[in-house]
Amino acid sequence: MIALEQVEESLALFAEGLAGRYIHIKTSGEQAGERSDPLRTEQSAEAIYLPEELPSADRSTYLVLVLQQLGYRECGTFAFNYRAWCEYARRELPPQKPHVQPDRDSDFTRLFDTFANPAVARRLFLLLEELRINAHVRRAYPGAAHYLDEWQSLLLSAQVPSEAPFDLLTAFVNGDREACSGIRDDLMALESLSANVFTTADLLVRLYPHFYHDRDLVLDAINAEVSGTEWMQREARLEDWKDDLEEKSRQLLAMEMLQAEDALLRDGDELDGETRDTSQTLYAMKNERDNLARRVEMERAALRYAVGIPKGHTRSFRYDEWNWLEHRYLKRYCRLYEERIQPEGAADVEALRKVIRQWRAQVKSQLAQLKPMGLQRVFRVHDGDELDLNAVLNARHDIRAGISPDERTYSRRDRVQRDICAAFLVDLSASTDDPINPPEPAPEDTDEEIPNLRDPYYEPIDAEPQEEPRKIIHIQREAMLVMASALDVLGDSFGIYGFSGYGHDCVEYFVAKEPDEALNLQVLNNIAAMQPKRSTRMGPAIRHTITKLVSAGQSMKILIVLSDGFPQDCDYGPIRGDHEYGLQDTARALAEAANKGIETFCITVDRSEHDYLKRMCPDARYLIIDEMEDLPEALTKVYTTLTLR
Amino acid sequence: MLAGNPFSDNFMTSSFRVPAEPYYLPVGDEIDVFEAAYAARLPVLLKGPTGCGKTRFVEHMAWRLERAGALTADPSLITISCHEDLTATDLVGRYLLMGDETVWRDGPLTRAVRSGAICYLDEIVEARKDTTVLIHSLSDHRRLLPIDKTGELVHAHPDFLLVMSYNPGYQSVLKDLKPSTRQRFVSIEFDYPAFEKEAEIIAHESGTDQTIAERLATVASRVRNLRDHGFEEGVSTRLLIYTGQLISQGIAPRRAGELAITTAISDDRAVQEAVRDIIDVILP
Repeated sequence: MIALEQVEESLALFAEGLAGRYIHIKTSGEQAGERSDPLRTEQSAEAIYLPEELPSADRSTYLVLVLQQLGYRECGTFAFNYRAWCEYARRELPPQKPHVQPDRDSDFTRLFDTFANPAVARRLFLLLEELRINAHVRRAYPGAAHYLDEWQSLLLSAQVPSEAPFDLLTAFVNGDREACSGIRDDLMALESLSANVFTTADLLVRLYPHFYHDRDLVLDAINAEVSGTEWMQREARLEDWKDDLEEKSRQLLAMEMLQAEDALLRDGDELDGETRDTSQTLYAMKNERDNLARRVEMERAALRYAVGIPKGHTRSFRYDEWNWLEHRYLKRYCRLYEERIQPEGAADVEALRKVIRQWRAQVKSQLAQLKPMGLQRVFRVHDGDELDLNAVLNARHDIRAGISPDERTYSRRDRVQRDICAAFLVDLSASTDDPINPPEPAPEDTDEEIPNLRDPYYEPIDAEPQEEPRKIIHIQREAMLVMASALDVLGDSFGIYGFSGYGHDCVEYFVAKEPDEALNLQVLNNIAAMQPKRSTRMGPAIRHTITKLVSAGQSMKILIVLSDGFPQDCDYGPIRGDHEYGLQDTARALAEAANKGIETFCITVDRSEHDYLKRMCPDARYLIIDEMEDLPEALTKVYTTLTLR
Repeated sequence: MLAGNPFSDNFMTSSFRVPAEPYYLPVGDEIDVFEAAYAARLPVLLKGPTGCGKTRFVEHMAWRLERAGALTADPSLITISCHEDLTATDLVGRYLLMGDETVWRDGPLTRAVRSGAICYLDEIVEARKDTTVLIHSLSDHRRLLPIDKTGELVHAHPDFLLVMSYNPGYQSVLKDLKPSTRQRFVSIEFDYPAFEKEAEIIAHESGTDQTIAERLATVASRVRNLRDHGFEEGVSTRLLIYTGQLISQGIAPRRAGELAITTAISDDRAVQEAVRDIIDVILP
């Protein structure tokens, strides 16, 4: 047996290499809603779902399954268009059944619904298409052919011998060339290079009568429901529609501009026939565009419901979770989606700059006391542990040439380089949206004299009446930014990340800055765009940051978590509202970090009880701040802990 | 040449009269551009990832210009591989001890400037900053090389041309070329060739059959999709040629791919596994 968790990391890279874009590798059980089936291999536009375990000795079967799924994309299965096929096959578009809606159903569904028993048509089509895809895999990936053979013979040996047409066809697809002798030539035609999805549809029409009379046929639920292929076709079609929509909007804009220019030129003239025509065309175009936009929206909602929220712009990772009640790790239990923060428009970074200016100097002096870690050989110095041969030679030449030589002829190893990588992990849970000081109820007395607003005395009150109340997220952001900018001045590398999410299968991890990027305007914009989102599942976020810090490779690694209270999430532990489970998992994750040589600190903006921090964080590894003023002093604790080791 | 002296010929340079036509398959108009730049004596900057054919291109151009009679110096091409300890002195020359005497010895750049050869500085950003002083005066209208130790001001030979290469991919920000340097050159961009051309190059250079060459080019196009994962360059044409050569020498294709591609491009275990799998399923 081989488990997906053993190979999923390299499998995701394998798929990305072949497909040219990132594809999430997920377990079949992770499929949305009713489509979840632990044994089925399927795909959506951005993920391939594979069985958690396979009965083979090595990874090769997983490679085959990925290649087959990619094969559907490479062979244009999902580009199937019902209308185009009818034209290609010179078939009349049959009268539509009343329940079929061209814009709400997949083009495949429309095809299958033209048959008396759509479930039979669906099953037949999927098998025929699999035959075509397997032939493609053999051609395009000759190295995988023997893996495919092995997998198919395994499937074949597991199949119960039967003379039912579908069983015979399944055997044929899995490599038994003796099965289906009557229609062998037809089937072989599907394996030729020139076959496409229309060929399969044609063959479906031709072979359907053979299968419709399969009396033993018991159609299980899988075949009765809409298949993944149909959803994929809809996802592909949605992309086409979106392109259409963009094109239509562009055309409309161009038309409108033309008309506006026209109107300017004809200023004062009466409306003539031509202008009226243009207005009508414009009106029609607008209507068409709006209809399409509505259709796109409806389709997007339908897909979101069936396939899940799109995560195509992210990369995903799975992490263990510590179940303290059972004292064991839940293997690969959490799925974390990593994405770059996308600021919407230019944020007000001036406020952030102001904070940096105000606090950086103090914080820098605290952080500067972290000792430099890296050794570096320094050449051309007056004394050292080795001769610098280049310098010696040059000195000798100079002496012989009658020039006074440079006396710095040694080299030595100096601790000149601060070899530090820090990661700031900011809690972006919804609770960070709370104001620090809850607004006091406005005084009731209205008898007060109305002030003279022209009096300069009232100016400050007048100037900022609408100021946003100061929230926890503001302090978190500012504390993090001040420390980050101090590290930046000191030349250390650091990453800035935020996390939130909802549920174990959707931990969100936001990247504002990676260690190898510079602290520039873009990063400030990203930080300004860090907004409160959903829950606080800290464990997986810490574990992901550990992976990042370890791969950064610096000798001193620091993880600073900024949060506002208990870790909590909808399914963080068996009892909702019980914080102990989340606390224990977070404590475990922090301990894992310490085991990997990472120094961890939790900075909490929290005015409630702090008992949990003592249990969650290692000794003296937490700081509690109420406001920015507290930060420099709190940081003395950080460097004392680090330098006194 | 001062035979017997270990410093007489710098170990990091190679200079030769190009004997036979070095194989080069043009991917665009780079040959015409280079010839035009040479005719106007405009210095040339070649940008591109490692192993995509920059050095081979310069050798090919030196051969072409030599054949056309435009380059008469012997050697016609002096190549200097730059590294982080390469100083201006290494390029210009130095005093050497010869018996009881101290003798001035021209460096490779000075030799090229005097004789009228093409001087090719490979991976220029690796060199120390003091080399830019020399490059600036040589690469504008002055075409001068100041030698401060001898107080000499060498006017470049009319045939002399400065060519530099640099790889924007893996250089850190600190090692980027300054605009003042970059803007003295005509820049020619290189990238890995398109699929068919790459297959043709692999087949020609390594002697493998066309099928293997095409499969190797397919491997390259797939592995390059993983550029973001720790190896920014992807797999170079040079590595593919090495793989082809190993295969021609009788090494099994997958083993050759393992030796020349998988282990060469990344140390990350997961990336290596993925690359190994890609090679495994694509090779016949």
